[in-house]
Formats: sequence, C-alpha cells, structure tokens
Amino acid sequence: MSFAVLLHYLPSLIAGFGVTVLCWSAGSILGLAIGFAVALLNRLPAPPLRWLLRAYVEILRGTPFLVQLFLLYAGGPYIGLRLSATAAGILGLGLYSSAYFAEIFRAGFAAVPQGQIEAAMSVGMTPGDILWRVTLPIALASTVPAIVNMLVILSKETVVLSIITVPELMYQMQTMAAETFTAFDAIFAMAIFYWLLVEAVSRVGRRLEIKLTAFMAREASA
Amino acid sequence: MRFDIILHSLGYLLRAAAVTVALSLAGIALGFVIGALVCAARRSGDRFLRRLGGFYVSFFRGVPLLVQLLFIYYFLAEYGLDVPAVVAAIGGLGLASGAYQAEILRGALNATPAGQAEAATALGFAPFDIWRRILLPQALRIAAPPLINEFILLLKASSLVSVVGIAELTRVSMNIASMTYRPFEAYLAGGMIYLAINLCLAAFGAFAERRLAAGGST
Amino acid sequence: MSEAMIEIKRVSKSFGALQVLREVDLSVARSEVVCLIGPSGSGKSTLLRCVNFLEAYDSGEIRIEGRLIGYRDEPGGRRPMPARDLREMRREIGMVFQHFNLWPHMTALGNVAEPLKRVRGLPASEADERALAMLKRVGLADKAAAYPGKLSGGQQQRVAIARALAMQPRLMLFDEPTSALDPELVGEVLEVMRDLAAEGMTMLIVTHEMGFAAHVADRIAFIDSGRIVEQGPPKKVFHESAEPRVRQFLQTYHDRNSF
Ligand SMILES: Nc1ncnc2c1ncn2[C@@H]1O[C@H](COP(=O)(O)OP(=O)(O)OP(=O)(O)O)[C@@H](O)[C@H]1O
Ligand SMILES: [Mg+2]
Repeated sequence: MSFAVLLHYLPSLIAGFGVTVLCWSAGSILGLAIGFAVALLNRLPAPPLRWLLRAYVEILRGTPFLVQLFLLYAGGPYIGLRLSATAAGILGLGLYSSAYFAEIFRAGFAAVPQGQIEAAMSVGMTPGDILWRVTLPIALASTVPAIVNMLVILSKETVVLSIITVPELMYQMQTMAAETFTAFDAIFAMAIFYWLLVEAVSRVGRRLEIKLTAFMAREASA
Repeated sequence: MRFDIILHSLGYLLRAAAVTVALSLAGIALGFVIGALVCAARRSGDRFLRRLGGFYVSFFRGVPLLVQLLFIYYFLAEYGLDVPAVVAAIGGLGLASGAYQAEILRGALNATPAGQAEAATALGFAPFDIWRRILLPQALRIAAPPLINEFILLLKASSLVSVVGIAELTRVSMNIASMTYRPFEAYLAGGMIYLAINLCLAAFGAFAERRLAAGGST
Repeated sequence: MSEAMIEIKRVSKSFGALQVLREVDLSVARSEVVCLIGPSGSGKSTLLRCVNFLEAYDSGEIRIEGRLIGYRDEPGGRRPMPARDLREMRREIGMVFQHFNLWPHMTALGNVAEPLKRVRGLPASEADERALAMLKRVGLADKAAAYPGKLSGGQQQRVAIARALAMQPRLMLFDEPTSALDPELVGEVLEVMRDLAAEGMTMLIVTHEMGFAAHVADRIAFIDSGRIVEQGPPKKVFHESAEPRVRQFLQTYHDRNSF
C-alpha cells in the first residue's frame, strides 16, 4: 500500500475512528445506565418484575451480538422501529452491554457486607441515606474492575457494527481495501491498530481502577 | 408476525444450528490444545517462551475476532493457499479461544495451593506424579466451569464466521430473511435457537459445577 | 417510670424451626454494665440485636427507657412500629460490632462524622469538629484522615466506638468487640470500654473476656440454649454458682486459657 493511497483515505479513516469512539462511548453510557437501572429495580421486592428482568438479561446474554444487531436494524422496521445504521449500532451496543452491566452491578450490590449496612441502620440512617451513602459507593467501588474489563470488550465489539454498515473504522478500512485491492494490508493494519488500542485502553483502565479503589486496599499498616 | 415462516424454515435452521455447534466444538477443542501449550509456555522456565506466551495471549485477546477471522481469510487468499472456508473459520475460532483458555488454565493452576505440592514433595512424590495425581485433577476441577462458559462465549462468537460465507445459524437466518423479506421473524428464530442452546449449556455447567464441588468435599 | 434502661421481658425468637431465645428476662439499669456470657450459638448476639431491633423478636417485649421497641400495641393487636419511630429510637442506642463494620470508602473522621451529618443534621464543620473530639477521646486523633483499610483491628474498633459515641447515645451495645482482634490489640479496646463504664455509660456487652467482665461488670448474665440460666454479681457467678452449665463453661474457659 503506497503512502499516497493512505494519505488519500486518511480523512475517511479518521472520520471512521470518530464514529468508532462515538458508538463505543454512547453505547457504553447507554448500557451502564440501563444496566444500573435493571440492577436497582432487581432489588425491589416484586417477584414478577424480577422474573422479567431475569429474562431480559438471559436473552441478551444468550444470543450473539450480531444477531441482536440484525434483529434491530433489519427487523426493526417491521415492528415500526426505523433507525439509521449508526443509531441501531449504538442502541444495539447499549442493549447488549446493559445485560452484562446489570450482572456486574448485581454482583456489586451482593458484595456489600451486611454488617456495614447494619452499622448504618444502628445509628438510625434512613433507607435513602443508607443506599446513597453506604450501599452504592461500596457496591460501585467493587465493580470498577469488571466495568473496565467490559468497556475494553465493548471497544472490540464496535467492529461488528461494520457488518450493518455503520461507517466506523473497520467499515472505512474495508471500503478502502475494496477500492484499492489491498485487503490483506488493510486488515493487517487493523489488527495491529486494535491490538495497540486495546492494550492502551486496558492500561488506562487499570490506572483508573487503582485510583478509584485506593481506599479499598487492605493491608493494615500497623 | 408470521410464525409460519419460522415453521417452514425450521428444518433449515436446525441443520444450521448443528453446523454452529460443530464449528464451536471444533474451535473449543483446537483452542484447548493451543491454550494448554500457551499456558505451558507461560509457566515454563524459559524466559523467551514465557514472553512468547504472553504475547500470544495479549495479541489474540486484543484483536477483535472479526478482524482475526478476516485476517486469516485474506492471508490465505494473499498467499494463494486453497483452504476450505470451514477450516479457516475453525482455525480462527481456535486461535482466539486458545488465548482465553490459556488464561483459564493458568488461573486454575495458580489457584491450586502451593502447599499441596510441597506436602506431596515432602512425602517423596516424583514431580510427574505430583502433576498427575495432585495438580492436574484439581486444576481441571477449577477450570471446568470457566471452560464451559468459554464454550458459550465461543458459540456466540461463531456467528461472526457468517461473514466468510459459512452456512451456520446466523448466515442461514440472513438467507431466510432475504428470501422471505421477513427479517424480524428470521432473526428472532435464529436468536431463540442460540438462546436455547446456551441455556442448555449453562444448565449443564451448573450441574457439572455442583457435581465437581460435591466431589471436592469428600 | 421504672429505673430500667433496658427491660427485656419473656422475649422469644426463632429462626424457622430453630428456637434461639426462650422467654428471656433481663434488665439493665441506668449506668449499669451487664456482661452477657455463654457458649457459642446460645443466642447472645441474637438477644443483643433484638435490643435495637436489627433482629425482630417474635414475642415478649423489649423496652428502652420504658418505650417498646420495634412494635406498637394497637387495639387489634401488635403491629410493626413505623420505620421513622424505629430510627428515632435507634439513634439513642449505640452499637459496636465484632467485625467493626466501618464504611471502607470513608476516612476514620468521615465514619464518625457521617451519622452526625445525616442523622443528627449537624452542619459539616460542626460534625467534623465533634467527630475529631471523639477520635481524640479514643486516642486516634492522628488517624483521622486514614481509611479503615489502613488501620489495625484495634484502631478500627476504636473508630467504631467513636462513631457510636458521637451520636451521644443513652446506652451502648457491644457484640464481642474484641473477638476479631489479635491478642495484643485487645487491651486498647477494653481500656476505652472501661473508661466509658467509669463515666457511667449504660452498657450491655457480649464478651468472652472473663477478666474484663469480672472487673468492669456490675452484673453477669449467663445464657445457654436461649435461656438466661444464671445472673448476679461477677463474684457470685464466677465463683459461687451452683449451676452445672455455668461451672462447666467456666471450666472449659479456664482450661483453654491456662498453660
Ligand atoms: N439469621 C439467622 N438465620 C438462621 N439462624 C440463625 C441466624 N442468626 C443466628 N442463627 C442461629 O441462632 C443460634 C444463635 O445464634 P447467635 O449468633 O445468637 O449465637 P451466639 O451466642 O452469638 O454465638 P457466638 O458466640 O458464636 O457468636 C445459632 O444456632 C445460629 O446458628
Ligand atoms: Mg455472636
């Protein structure tokens, strides 16, 4: 692949990367929000609701992301849901990840020691204060590593969006490859690029993780 | 909703599901062999081998599976190697799964308390016997549930080989969608079959975990 | 009005088919220190947790300064007390747990100040000031900025005591406050408790520290299989009890602790 060719396609590749980042961040935020809501609703003492939420999580975790995307993008219009490829991609990524995030948050809530909640009850804190000041911060801190891990996984899943023609990096790269007959070079470059990206994201994630959970570090100094 | 479309193509879908299961089984088996080798490399005394193993895991877990699959596909095309698409697909799934399985096996071996090997050494066990009688049985017991989980993940990931034209469950769902102009029904049916398979696998996993846990306490 | 701070009358409690408390009667007067001892699983923790209604008792009554906790007597029978009233009562009852239960995401100061802000409604500066004074009192003013994970067990337990004390409770409940501590750290916590007793705090203490109980308690209550089988001044319970279960318990304790 010549340098001139690459230069010619550079703007579209950069634009593609922008779409990748957009889908990744918007999808993740959507997934985190829905997942958190699911985990919170799951704590209500309403068995039928829990059943429903369980089904939601199991269905999304039991089916391939690609099939979910097809169902949303190609099947959507047949049930009155007409979305652009990018919107379908973001919504798909959000729904798909929400199931995993819901499980992460559920585990986080379960990991809060009952005694720390009882301590709050014994000083007479209200249920709302206990949730916001005790349960949530402790639960969220314990979920940071799993959330970081999921965000890294999602950054890789964005390439699947190219299959439903979302104009993200992979899609732009394949367009370029098709027009210039450089399929092998292009995919090789993609592999290296994503490898470095994922390594970088993981590294930043670990830093963040250490920072956010510093207070949780055990090892008494005395 | 037109359920008759689903019913009509059910035979077609189920055959495709069998292909998906077969692909995934082959992929997980290949991945196990690769994973065991990579795990051995990462635990070996040789620094170069350890590095190589670490690089393998980092690369194949870092690169999106779709990119890996297309890479293999184009690689074979570039060098004019005439390999059936199915073989390329299994190879791709196996290479990727190998990285994850290597980590599962490594974690399981690390989770086996060092004191047990020491106790066996103190009793005069030969190193090979320690491996065969003490470490391996326990490590496999610890590794079994995550390996079943890895199989579920691989089964879902195998939907991506549809892009290289293999008639597995996702590809066949696409075909039905375009033939009948009813994509909603087609993908819903395909998705439900994936779900059914995975729920069975998860139930089997839970069963195996209970059995192994019970065996561990005796 | 009775003089009793805590009045427990015919309290029973079951977990499913397992009856853990059987018609327990026990009272603690103002400024009195009562130590509750007994074998493992005899119901000590359960009884203590019933006093601030962390555990709901099934029948009988528990009164704090004459006021029934957890329930409200109504013409149709007994109903659960409104949550707001229960919180109001709990504010006056300090509790210290075996495993400290400090909130790991707050500093020592934060742990002590948090209930003052949220429950007592003090402004932040005032809450912090009072929290610091409390930490000073348990000898930990210099650890105010430390997170619980960086403190030793003994220090964590003292912070937990400061947290309870800062609320200015009318009485204090302790559930084996030193059982999770390394032996060399037990003393510092007992010392704080001894000071509290000397200042006239009403205390109900579950403990396995017989030496401490003998010196600090006004009264010892021995519980076995959910029944109080003996109670009285330490000297009487420890040295003159005719009750075989008490003698056996103390014998086991002495055997284990002598060498
Ligand atoms: N939440 C619960 N559900 C079921 N059983 C319980 C529960 N809490 C306590 N028990 C049972 O009630 C009995 C008394 O428990 P409790 O914790 O009050 O004993 P204890 O005297 O404090 O013992 P220890 O000295 O070991 O702390 C035990 O048999 C225990 O297993
Ligand atoms: Mg107890």
